[in-house]
Amino acid sequence: MREILQWIEATSLGHLMRESGPWTYALVNTAHILGVSSLFGSILVLDLRLLGCWTRVRLADLASAVTPVAATGFAIAIATGSAMLATKATAYVGNPFLLIKFPAIALGLINVGVLKVTPAWKARATRELSRGEQRQLAVIGGISLACWLTAITCGRMIAFW
Amino acid sequence: MKKVATLVAVFMMSALPAFAHHGWGGNEDKLSNVTGTVTTGVSLAGPHATMKIKDAEGHIWDVTMAPPNRTQEAGVTEKLIPVGSTVMVHGHRNKNQKTYEIKVTKLTYNGKLYDVYPGMD
Repeated sequence: MREILQWIEATSLGHLMRESGPWTYALVNTAHILGVSSLFGSILVLDLRLLGCWTRVRLADLASAVTPVAATGFAIAIATGSAMLATKATAYVGNPFLLIKFPAIALGLINVGVLKVTPAWKARATRELSRGEQRQLAVIGGISLACWLTAITCGRMIAFW
Repeated sequence: MKKVATLVAVFMMSALPAFAHHGWGGNEDKLSNVTGTVTTGVSLAGPHATMKIKDAEGHIWDVTMAPPNRTQEAGVTEKLIPVGSTVMVHGHRNKNQKTYEIKVTKLTYNGKLYDVYPGMD
């Protein structure tokens, strides 16, 4: 873990973060919060819909609004998160929350992949879903919620270790 | 509703006397001084300014200061203290006595006191 973090710290992104003034980290941190809140705020609505809330709202319509917001939020979070990590990566050697956070993010992304190939999801715009299919989507929504909640919780806890 | 608001207010106020920032829970309430020679100079990057010093027994201390801008405003810049100089830091050390980490509120270098958190011990 130390070697990987040393390498991350030595990247040009790390240098840029360390050498561009005392406000850089604070601003990047602010953007990170905006990214994470956009991601979680939007995905929360979709996950709750998959879990059975607001069934009067058509899934396809909701998804078409929520997905781009979530994807943009995720992109911002990844970019700013990498920059913050690179600033002093070696400071996180042995931080257990880091080791929970990143697998949680990876699992969240795998879950997105699973959702995308699920026949029920693909059929969301074209037909009514069966009970069984709705249950499938509910499981995926639940996993999603658990992943992002874990990632956010552990992300915040990194600073308190 | 009023009760909830009161409860929230009490919670928020109970957090106020603590330090302005997070992460002091793992550190002692009492204050310590550590004198050592600087091995890694002041860095104003990241959430907090940092440096490393080596004490008389040879332990390398991770010194965590205030957020970068605040540290700089207090006069502690990256160029101020050359590696190898002697400094004394004043603050709260890690509760784990085997962890040589101290979160400092004041720093003395070259006979001058740098008060990073004015009004705070």
